[in-house]
Amino acid sequence: MATIRCVVVTPEKTELDVQADSLTVPLYDGEIGILPGRAPMVGRLGFGLMKVKQGASESSHYVDGGFVQVRREAVYVLTDRMLKPDSIDKTHAAADLEKALALVASSPETFAMKDRAVSQARAKIRL
Amino acid sequence: MANIRLLDKRRKSIKNIRKITRTMELIATARFKKAMDRASAASDYTNLITAIVQDLAKSGTEVSHPLLQSRETVKAAEMLLLTSNRGLCGGYDGSVLRLALQRRNEIAATISDSSMSVSGKRGISALKFRGIPLEKTFTQFDDAPAFDEVAKIADDLMERFITGKIDRVDVVYTKFMTVSKQVAVVETLLPISNLAIEAKKSKPNATSLTANESTDSKLKDDYEFLPSAESILEEVVPAAFRARVFKCFLDAAVSEQIARMVAMKSATENAGDIIKQLSRTFNRARQSKITQEIMEIIGGVEALG
Repeated sequence: MATIRCVVVTPEKTELDVQADSLTVPLYDGEIGILPGRAPMVGRLGFGLMKVKQGASESSHYVDGGFVQVRREAVYVLTDRMLKPDSIDKTHAAADLEKALALVASSPETFAMKDRAVSQARAKIRL
Repeated sequence: MANIRLLDKRRKSIKNIRKITRTMELIATARFKKAMDRASAASDYTNLITAIVQDLAKSGTEVSHPLLQSRETVKAAEMLLLTSNRGLCGGYDGSVLRLALQRRNEIAATISDSSMSVSGKRGISALKFRGIPLEKTFTQFDDAPAFDEVAKIADDLMERFITGKIDRVDVVYTKFMTVSKQVAVVETLLPISNLAIEAKKSKPNATSLTANESTDSKLKDDYEFLPSAESILEEVVPAAFRARVFKCFLDAAVSEQIARMVAMKSATENAGDIIKQLSRTFNRARQSKITQEIMEIIGGVEALG
């Protein structure tokens, strides 16, 4: 069965470089599943769980925004940080959400910033 | 005549100094290797981001973003200065500070409102001594700057730039060229002017991640952009900016360790030279003392006979 090379890169280092059967990543506006042989694509990532399926085992990681690029040779996931889902502190995330909701958005730019902070905190709580 | 005991004491203390500087050199070497590994691990991300920017440009998307627009009148400028937390690293901080102050004077001539942010205790104390007000100070960056911390600074700069509180951001740091060459440079971070120039530069030294792409690069890939090319651009520009600021910090960390290594190497060598010189003076003094004593004895014997 064909496999797909999946590479996760953060600004600090290459976190993951594996051959997988399929992977699912959270896009900006919904999840996307990627199988071997996917047509080239660049997608904007949202906040949420990335699932990598290798045979019978499936591993999931939290990704914090970024991009996914599907190329001929591999799928590259560029994200600011990749965390284990159970390492995320939900009470902390709830506090972040409150802080984000309290932001005052007076221009399109600040509105985008607020929106980003809110959705990031919500994604963490949702895990 | 030189005091023999004093000379010996001095030689011993210099031997101790040599031991210390040699140890510091070894520590700096180990840290340099670590910092270097981090810096090369980080280059994958930069290469991939640039690849996305290039693909966006190839697809015919117009590259425009608030961070890319230069303001007609620059009213407020911010300067970020990267120095070290610890001393004993030769001219590392000195050259960065000299350049920063020179730049500050240039800016002051045209722009009324200029502020400075400094990372590193050495830079903070040097500027405080000169009575220059500092906007923000950071001391948490050592030989391994964490991306999360750098991203906070980058986000803050971006926010202030977009909301119009500042119109330009410069960074002064020591750029790592090769292991034997590091230079203090001033670079304009915001507005971002050279997304494309950086892309050209990073092409020849593509790492293993992008190396295997050369075989099928002749085939033109038609990328699908989700949700849209504009939306990706909106996100890619800040990401590229953060990566760039992070690279500045990594470069500074590597350069600092190299500077310390070189400084400690020459200090060790210098201590060796001084020990040699002191040993010679010490031996000469001892010999002349012995000669003098013999002369005295002979004189005494002759006087008796």
